Amino acid sequence: MSGAFLEVKDLYMYYRTTMGSLKAVDGVSFSLDRGETLALIGESGCGKSSLAKCLIRLLPRNVEVFRGHIYLDGEDLMEMDEDQFRRTIQWQRISMVAQAALNSLNPVIRVGEQVAEPLIVHKGISKEEALKKARETFSLVGIPDAFVDRYPFELSGGMRQRAIIAMALIMNPEIIILDEPTSALDVLTQANIMNLLKKIKAESSISFILITHDVGLSSELADKVAVMYGGQIVELNDAEGFYSSPLHPYSKKLMASVPTLRMDRTPEYIPGSPISLINPPEGCRFADRCQSKMPLCSKDPPLVHLGEGRFVKCWIYAK
Amino acid sequence: MRLILQYKCAVAGLGILLLLIGISIYTVIAIPYSEATYLWRAGEGIWLECPRNAMPSWINIFLPKKLPETIILDTKRGSVGATKVIIPFGERASKLRIELEFNYPYDDFPSEINLFYTANYSRSSPHITIYWIKPGGKEMRLKELTLKKSGAYYISNDEKIAQKLHDYIYQKFGEEPNYAVSPEIGLFAREDSSILRVETTSPLKGRYKMLIEGTIFERNVDVDVKLIIYGKVYGVAGTDHLRRDLSIALLWGTPIALSFGVVASVTIAMIQMIIAAISAWYSNKIDFIIQKVTEVNMILPFLPMLIMLSVFYSFNIWMLLLVVIALSIFGSGVKTYRAVFLQIKEFPYVEAAKAYGAGSLRIIFLYLIPKVLPTIIPSLVLSVSDFVFLEAAMALLGLGDPIAPTWGKVIDDAYSAGALYKGYFYWVLEPSFLLILTALGFALLGFSLDKIFNPRLKEI
Amino acid sequence: MRRELYRFLKYSIKRGVSLLIVVVIAVYITILIANMGGYVDNIIKSEVRFRIGMQVNQNPAYKGLTPREKGELIEKLYQKEIKRLGLDTPFILRSYQYMVQALTLELGRALYLTSDTGSRSVKNIILERLPATILLFTTTNLILFFISLFGGLYASRKYESKFDKLIVGLSPLSSIPGWFYGIFMILIFASILHILPYGGLVDVPPPKDPVSYALSVLKHMVLPILSWLVGYAFIQTYVRRTFFLMFSSEDYVEMARAKGLPPRMIERRYILRPTLPPIITDFALTLISSWMGAIITERVFNWPGIGTLFYMAANLFDSPVIIGEVVIYAYLLAITVFVLDIVYAIVDPRIRLGVT
Repeated sequence: MSGAFLEVKDLYMYYRTTMGSLKAVDGVSFSLDRGETLALIGESGCGKSSLAKCLIRLLPRNVEVFRGHIYLDGEDLMEMDEDQFRRTIQWQRISMVAQAALNSLNPVIRVGEQVAEPLIVHKGISKEEALKKARETFSLVGIPDAFVDRYPFELSGGMRQRAIIAMALIMNPEIIILDEPTSALDVLTQANIMNLLKKIKAESSISFILITHDVGLSSELADKVAVMYGGQIVELNDAEGFYSSPLHPYSKKLMASVPTLRMDRTPEYIPGSPISLINPPEGCRFADRCQSKMPLCSKDPPLVHLGEGRFVKCWIYAK
Repeated sequence: MRLILQYKCAVAGLGILLLLIGISIYTVIAIPYSEATYLWRAGEGIWLECPRNAMPSWINIFLPKKLPETIILDTKRGSVGATKVIIPFGERASKLRIELEFNYPYDDFPSEINLFYTANYSRSSPHITIYWIKPGGKEMRLKELTLKKSGAYYISNDEKIAQKLHDYIYQKFGEEPNYAVSPEIGLFAREDSSILRVETTSPLKGRYKMLIEGTIFERNVDVDVKLIIYGKVYGVAGTDHLRRDLSIALLWGTPIALSFGVVASVTIAMIQMIIAAISAWYSNKIDFIIQKVTEVNMILPFLPMLIMLSVFYSFNIWMLLLVVIALSIFGSGVKTYRAVFLQIKEFPYVEAAKAYGAGSLRIIFLYLIPKVLPTIIPSLVLSVSDFVFLEAAMALLGLGDPIAPTWGKVIDDAYSAGALYKGYFYWVLEPSFLLILTALGFALLGFSLDKIFNPRLKEI
Repeated sequence: MRRELYRFLKYSIKRGVSLLIVVVIAVYITILIANMGGYVDNIIKSEVRFRIGMQVNQNPAYKGLTPREKGELIEKLYQKEIKRLGLDTPFILRSYQYMVQALTLELGRALYLTSDTGSRSVKNIILERLPATILLFTTTNLILFFISLFGGLYASRKYESKFDKLIVGLSPLSSIPGWFYGIFMILIFASILHILPYGGLVDVPPPKDPVSYALSVLKHMVLPILSWLVGYAFIQTYVRRTFFLMFSSEDYVEMARAKGLPPRMIERRYILRPTLPPIITDFALTLISSWMGAIITERVFNWPGIGTLFYMAANLFDSPVIIGEVVIYAYLLAITVFVLDIVYAIVDPRIRLGVT
């Protein structure tokens, strides 16, 4: 166990569906330092959202298995009961930025109030004080003061995203999970939001966990990159290493599918479709879609450690 | 479709409905509608041989004290126990002697006793004297009567007999009975001290005889009598205050209720869907008009309007159906369906149809409506019972079809006659049972269909 | 805030006007339909005859006339008046005038019925009986609303529990209307058990002091309310519960949980409050249909409200009262819709701030 600020070890989360047990998070481990940003990338349905929600203990209604260790500054969060977790961890040490969809904000409560809520509930501050703080945070993220009194539907997409970011910041958490923060926005607004995030990252010691399927976008913020496939992390690398030379065949495909500025090659696509998380195949889960498939791949590949917390889950690198 | 049979509820519901349909088919074949309405109108003497407010016969299975059935002795029909002798004497006269003998084995008194007669004389009325002979030989003279061509002697309404019986009891026992001794009780009661209390008095079982002796003053005159000792039970369903056999209304109520409910429900749903589809498809002016009409329809009070129309322009049941449909087609369903159609209209496959030049009507009927159809089937089935009860409600308000024998009408008759107050529970319970059965059948089926056609509810 | 108040008022006025127009059209249609059988004309004509009769009988100048002469005089004056009022002209031309009268609740005089104070005015007769209906109606619906709201909330919280399954299982009871259960309530509690009254508003003779009177009324309200509870409480609770379940899987609810808000607070602010708008809409439809059901319920329980009045007028063929009642019901429905629209606007900022 390293002295990392956040350490996730052997995390499992399954939930029941009518068709069987869905293994959303199937043995995930990684670590993160203070102030570091981890980009969690993968296709839809690979479990990255579920993983992030596990960290803040947003479990589905029909959860079946939830075990493992989440060490935050040495303390195992998994040992806390619901009430303690709610009162001490949720939003105060770990918060979340959801998509900018209108549905992420309560439609019948004013934006300012929603942003101020955690302060009132967790810190017991008066409503006026909390709203003042909300206004301050609003200016921090670039929203005009007056919008504190508005309702969510009165804000544009970009404004809403900023409000949601403000809401995540207001308690000064140590970790912020960003779940597809810009996917509902147009490109220009996207750029603005990314700039805001970069500013916040530079001016504070908050660790971001950025979940996205947009590989290109992730490169703007990431210090570390984790690639998820089939409920497992198949590669955990530092950003520079990953973006220049990805290791896992899947990562390679992902990088190859990103269009570049100078289109001197056609973007590739990954053949086949993501595996079902209900009955994942024996052995390497990516094997059927992998170009470098070997007979060895019928057995589950080990985590090959490359030092400094980096690893890749592939037989190619196992010597 | 086989999916439906997997749900126990659906099977039960279907079972009930099939039973009701079976009853309907049987009824329509066995008792033609015209005959049913004729009987139900209860014209002259159709039901005269039935008791009033009698309970169904099978109730005797459960009762410790057996209630009497109706005993009819008719000289014209040659009933067993009815003997008639006419012996001429003198030039033109004849002596008449009629004996009506019957066995009375029941534990309770009859409800009524009537004597009907016919005499086909031309000028001189025959005279008769009527005697009543209890088992054991006790004889009592009831009445002397001059016969008309046809008439009736309502024995149980005869005040004089009642008084006579009362006095007789007082004389015999030295005490007054603690109730008013009506003829149908007094003529049948056991003559011991039990006769003094209404709680203890009970009939004397055995062979009774009514003796009619008289003189006929013309030749070739025949006199016929019919003695009816009305029971307290009758038939499968009992009778109402007009002596009508309730089973006719109960049987015929079935096809009427079913067809009313189903036709109303289906027609309204279909028309609402079409209107909604048109409204959603042809936006702007047509949409606006239809919207406004729907709003007016919402404010137009449905039931009061229906009542007003029924009162002013009296309806038979099928006109009522038509009016109900007319008042409902712009109802709230249009708004809900319209919302769904507005969504569907944007679907790619609809756009594709537009692109290849399909006409609007074609799109509406072949694309939009079929998509929505499955989702409305559950509510369609469920609303059938609403309409069945609506018809019953109209009857209960006294506004239904005056001649059609429906369940609602029976309940209305019962209610107006104070059935609950007087303890004639069967009168209310029987049609209610059928109504509940119908509602249950459609409800079970409808809720099961809902689970099938709206799968998102299954996950919730 | 002032901005909001202004927009809210604007919305209210718009809705009010729009509903008023709808009422006007509805009443007009009523008049037209009613007069297809000449009933409205007859009301007016009898009104005129009555008025003239009164005038002649009270005029001292005519005191000395014989009844027959009076009768002829009345008839002459009546005919003149009919012509003057244009009642011999086609109906269409006069219909709008009738509509205005109906709208202002000038509903004429009843043919047979009278109010308790002896008045023949249809308006008085109806208004006199309105409070009884409102009492029973409002109480029942309020009880149903709160039972279904909190029951639904509780059931959605304890999803798949015995309580939840009970609600789901018993909701088919709604296929039988409340008034029908009423008949059985009377059968069981009045006919057989003799513990509750058969119907009516109060005991006969009514108790003298207000407290006993109120208690007596309450006693008479038990069975009607109970019958509606059996018929409608389960299905309404089921509907609310389904709403809550649907709305509790919204994204913002998840965000609220992530924010570490206490569960009760989430329920109140993030599930209950956003769900109120569709609940209000559903409640509006329920209220409207219950105005209808109330008519039959009143008949079953002999409750002296406008429903029983309708029943009596229908059976007496008292057309002025019947037409008057239809108009009153149109107003009642419009008021119900209006009030609920206002509540809806209060509860859903998207509506009152005018965003589609």
